[in-house]
Amino acid sequence: MWEQIASIFSIGLFQNTIRNATPVILAALGGLFTEHAGIMNIGMEGMILMGAFFAVVFSFTFASAPMGVLLAVVIGIAVGLFFALFVVKLKSDEFIIGMTLNTFAAGITVYLLRSVFHQTGSWVSKDIKGLEAIDIPILKDIPILGDIFSGYSAFVYISWLLVFAVWVFLYRTPYGFWMRASGEHPEALETAGIDPIKMKVLASVLCGIFCGFAGAHLSLGYLNCFTEGMSASRGFIAFACVVFGMANPPKVFGAALLFGFLQALGIRLQSVGVPSSLTEAVPYLATVLMLVYITVRGANKKRNRAKKAMALEAANE
Amino acid sequence: MKFLNKIDKKYVLTLIICIIVALLCGALIMLATGFNPLKAYQTMIMGALGKPRLIGNTLEKFMTLCLLGLATAVGAKGGLFNVGGEGQLFFGALVATMVGLKLSALPAPIVIVIAFLCAIIVGGFYAWIPAILKVKLNVSEVITTIMLNTIAIKVVTYLVNGPWCASSVSVTKGTDYLPDSLRLTKLISASNLSTSFIVGALFTFLIWYCMKKTTVGLQMKITGENARFARFSGLKSDRIMIGSMVASGAICGFVGMTLVYGYNGQMVDSISNEFYFDGMLVAMIMNYNPVGIIIMSVFFAIMSTGAAMMDMTMGVSSQLYDIVFSILIFLMAANKGFSAWFTQQSMQRKARAKAREKAGKESI
Repeated sequence: MWEQIASIFSIGLFQNTIRNATPVILAALGGLFTEHAGIMNIGMEGMILMGAFFAVVFSFTFASAPMGVLLAVVIGIAVGLFFALFVVKLKSDEFIIGMTLNTFAAGITVYLLRSVFHQTGSWVSKDIKGLEAIDIPILKDIPILGDIFSGYSAFVYISWLLVFAVWVFLYRTPYGFWMRASGEHPEALETAGIDPIKMKVLASVLCGIFCGFAGAHLSLGYLNCFTEGMSASRGFIAFACVVFGMANPPKVFGAALLFGFLQALGIRLQSVGVPSSLTEAVPYLATVLMLVYITVRGANKKRNRAKKAMALEAANE
Repeated sequence: MKFLNKIDKKYVLTLIICIIVALLCGALIMLATGFNPLKAYQTMIMGALGKPRLIGNTLEKFMTLCLLGLATAVGAKGGLFNVGGEGQLFFGALVATMVGLKLSALPAPIVIVIAFLCAIIVGGFYAWIPAILKVKLNVSEVITTIMLNTIAIKVVTYLVNGPWCASSVSVTKGTDYLPDSLRLTKLISASNLSTSFIVGALFTFLIWYCMKKTTVGLQMKITGENARFARFSGLKSDRIMIGSMVASGAICGFVGMTLVYGYNGQMVDSISNEFYFDGMLVAMIMNYNPVGIIIMSVFFAIMSTGAAMMDMTMGVSSQLYDIVFSILIFLMAANKGFSAWFTQQSMQRKARAKAREKAGKESI
């Protein structure tokens, strides 16, 4: 019994947590921008998938991982602009455009994979160069912490830095202020002389770039391959993380980590004989439960605040 | 004649143009990837309509797409986006199969009716969960339904390959096959088309009738367009929203049952290959209009069955169908957006001209 528990809660569990959480963290940070700009971005799933695929394509053709990341980012910018064109400029239904973007991404990646690269299912090749693992100088020599926190691809560390950077951007720079205003009160922003449309487009492009990062990490971060439908609802989970992190970078980071932990736990539980298809369902179930919990708590808080305000008013009278 | 007048001619025209452009885009993609688009499209049409057997498959696909599209429309008209039809379909199919296997001693018609009821109840219940969460707690139904999809598929995968997997050795995957007496009669032999088509057609008519001709349909429409207005006009908007979502789930459950009883014969974890999402996109293209969904499903059924043939004979991946599909939706959205933008621009210009005129008169 204790041995089994020990085998579940090993260092591998925490390593897997960090690996699984990173794409979600990156995508969710991207989703923060669009959320603040007042766009319901359900298309992150497709953005991640395209990023993952095109990163592998360039990594394969140039035999270089940085080129792969570059193409993933370029595609991310293009998709972000495309999404913004429809949702912001043409005022199309963001739900429809997002869902269609996901279908398009699923279609185009599989089509190109099968018809151009003649691979079905997954694409494994030694010519696909992955991102190199980075060892952090002093940390890597500390026994347990070194194993847990050192030796990942650059994206893992970048994602941690980005949490802070995004927070600074959103809450400490005028651009962040304008971006939040473009979602909350576009008319006010327009009166102040800033074009809310530009801020929304910027948010969408940033989201595209971050999802490109997420995709590149997914395919080049540690497996160095592309699998059909590789994003596996991570875009949706990232969206859920944005919702229950209340679009606040550190909280969203926490939510994404929790998701990564649940997924890693699922993988570990397989080793003690729990069927894999059941453990794979756990993160999705947890997402639903957390969403319910957060929404209910949010509603309660609002109600309490309203009650307090009323009590205060009554006392003043 | 009265029927013809009701059709929005401008919409139909733009739709046809958009379809042609989308097909051209598909042709360009094929050209760029080294295939002959003319031959591919020819194979597609022959693969869908070339033989009676293939026509049967296309008709079956049409009914699936049409019912799932209508399921989306029923939910959307009531104000809730049901993205979780795939999960409802999986559970409906699973329960129907298990009922068939466990009760195979009873007379076939009774078993089929019980299986049908179970499928729609389970499908409806699985849609009821996100609906009640949305209405009572205001939890976004889009996210919950997407998550419930994955949960359903994973659970079904576990059940059909684990505790409920086939007892006979000859079956490699999924549950046991249903006894022949329970399988629905084929309308065209060797095709996928079975008597479920007739029931489906009946369902389609009923849904159209309910949505367009009854007060229930009108109440749904009002609630979907403006829930607050509906509430203040004395409609029980909560109940209507939940009801429409449950109805949507029930339709998906029924479709799941037809897939098993109609042609698959057993429950496997690949019973539906994102069929619901195809149906949902059809519904979106047609603005959730029931008649439009029915017509559009024919077109996409032909493309879908034909694409499979294209894949087999020419090696053009059948995903081309998804690509053309999504390009079409983008084109429709772009058309709508641009025309709205132009109208706004011209109205602004007119208003400016008017203002200038007025200013000119005043200065005189």
